Amino acid sequence: MTAPLPLLAARGLEYVYPGGVVALRGLDLNIERGQKLAILGPNGSGKTTLLLHLNGTCQPTRGEIRLDGQPARYDHRALNHWRRRVGLVLQEPDDQLFAATVGQDVSFGPLNLGLSAAETAERVREALESLRISHLADRATHTLSFGQKKRVAIAGVLAMRPEILVLDEPTAGLDSHGVTHLLSALQQLHEAGTTLVFSTHDVELAYAWADEVALFHEGTVLCQGETAAVLGDREALHRARLRPPLLLEVAEALGADQDRVQPTLRSREAVLALLRERLGEPASAMPVETVFPHSRRGPPA
Amino acid sequence: MRAIDHHAWTNRWRGWHPAEKLLPAGSLLILTLVLPPLTTAPLVLAGMALATVRGAGVPLKALLSVLAAPAAFLLAGVPFLAVSVDFAEGVNLHLSADGLRLALTTTVRALAAMSCLAFLILTTPLTDWITPLRRIGVPAGVIELILLIYRLIFVFFERALTGHQAQTARLGYSRVDRSVRSLGLLVSNLFQRALEQARRLEIGLMARGYTGELRVLAPKRVLSWPRLATGLGLVGLVGAASDLLARGLS
Repeated sequence: MTAPLPLLAARGLEYVYPGGVVALRGLDLNIERGQKLAILGPNGSGKTTLLLHLNGTCQPTRGEIRLDGQPARYDHRALNHWRRRVGLVLQEPDDQLFAATVGQDVSFGPLNLGLSAAETAERVREALESLRISHLADRATHTLSFGQKKRVAIAGVLAMRPEILVLDEPTAGLDSHGVTHLLSALQQLHEAGTTLVFSTHDVELAYAWADEVALFHEGTVLCQGETAAVLGDREALHRARLRPPLLLEVAEALGADQDRVQPTLRSREAVLALLRERLGEPASAMPVETVFPHSRRGPPA
Repeated sequence: MRAIDHHAWTNRWRGWHPAEKLLPAGSLLILTLVLPPLTTAPLVLAGMALATVRGAGVPLKALLSVLAAPAAFLLAGVPFLAVSVDFAEGVNLHLSADGLRLALTTTVRALAAMSCLAFLILTTPLTDWITPLRRIGVPAGVIELILLIYRLIFVFFERALTGHQAQTARLGYSRVDRSVRSLGLLVSNLFQRALEQARRLEIGLMARGYTGELRVLAPKRVLSWPRLATGLGLVGLVGAASDLLARGLS
């Protein structure tokens, strides 16, 4: 049996900036339908450049991007079609928001899809609702907080209903409350069938939330695979100059055997429960703080 | 400027159709310009101040600060209007009744006219002007430019502010020569950033299907005829009152 065709893939991707700086050095990446893929790597390793290739903003110097197994083309029509399917959210919301009010900004994408005013208004309503910012629809863009701007930027892309949502450092600059909000909104999208790809330097976030991790270092993907497997690989992490997730280290220090570490001990609650067990306290003694309420992997029943 | 913008977005009459504000205020402006100023201007000034402060709920302080700058210009001009120079016997400065009258009428007329404009900018955010502008045939490119500038002003204002704060924290403005240098660096830095910002904004917009046209949904505003009629009726009242006063005085 052949493996299912990845929805979006990079093959031997190389990119050299006009100044001669090499950003990507021949990397491979697979994005499967319906997954949550974290592109994990330190700052300045070229993650953003990679994401700019995923919607055709940058054209590789060598190698190719494949959409449904077909090599991507870069003519006007193909790019339009491509960007309908792959939505890109930049890290800095001010790079993306241009309209004076929130509702107007979100309406930009749907109107570019050629939708009518009525359909567009409906898409705007729906996108704002799914990020729980309906109350901001008539607010002036420049009066929003950073976290609000970030959600508006995502809503603007979401209103186009992309198959794949690519987010550059979605949690950067958000406080823990903002992160919780954002992740639960993204989780809902994921459950509705949207494929999510996000770049991050946050090992804990990738560990708690991604199905799959691509470990990124200096313009290459060191390895891509199931989250617990990749993040359990000390040697690879060390090469990428990242530390293993704290939860994983604690679980190991508590003597959880390797089989139990993956995947049941990936949630904070599960590790806390194990800690209490070791300390001999009853399970309900400490309040459980829920940081990733929609994480698929809850505490063991 | 940020204060003006804040009130434009948050005042009680923000949701009104722009024509309900533009037509009465515009008519008052015309009245101010054509009717005798000494009787009309105070009425217009009072009416617009009432509408702005009592009606729309904009603080009086905001209105005064908008009017302060033009008022200062006007006051600076008063001596030149009031004093006449006579070259008959050497240089001779003297006040004349005509000159004083001219100075007074010019000042009150200009202030009253300014109050009409202040009312409009303090009660109506920029986005509400887009539909009327489009309707009178302003090209789409110009409107896009207006909107984009409006948005980016705030982005750069913020950058300039934080840049200035960062420079101040490192004593960049501790001496006059350092201040000049720091300001120069700040401005050139902002210019570079503006170019970068433009490039990144284009990436962000292209990701959302930008093809050279910045179309967005226009805000929906329903024209309330009763409100418009009330506004115009009050304007008529001001005109009539001014006319009566003028007759009474002469």
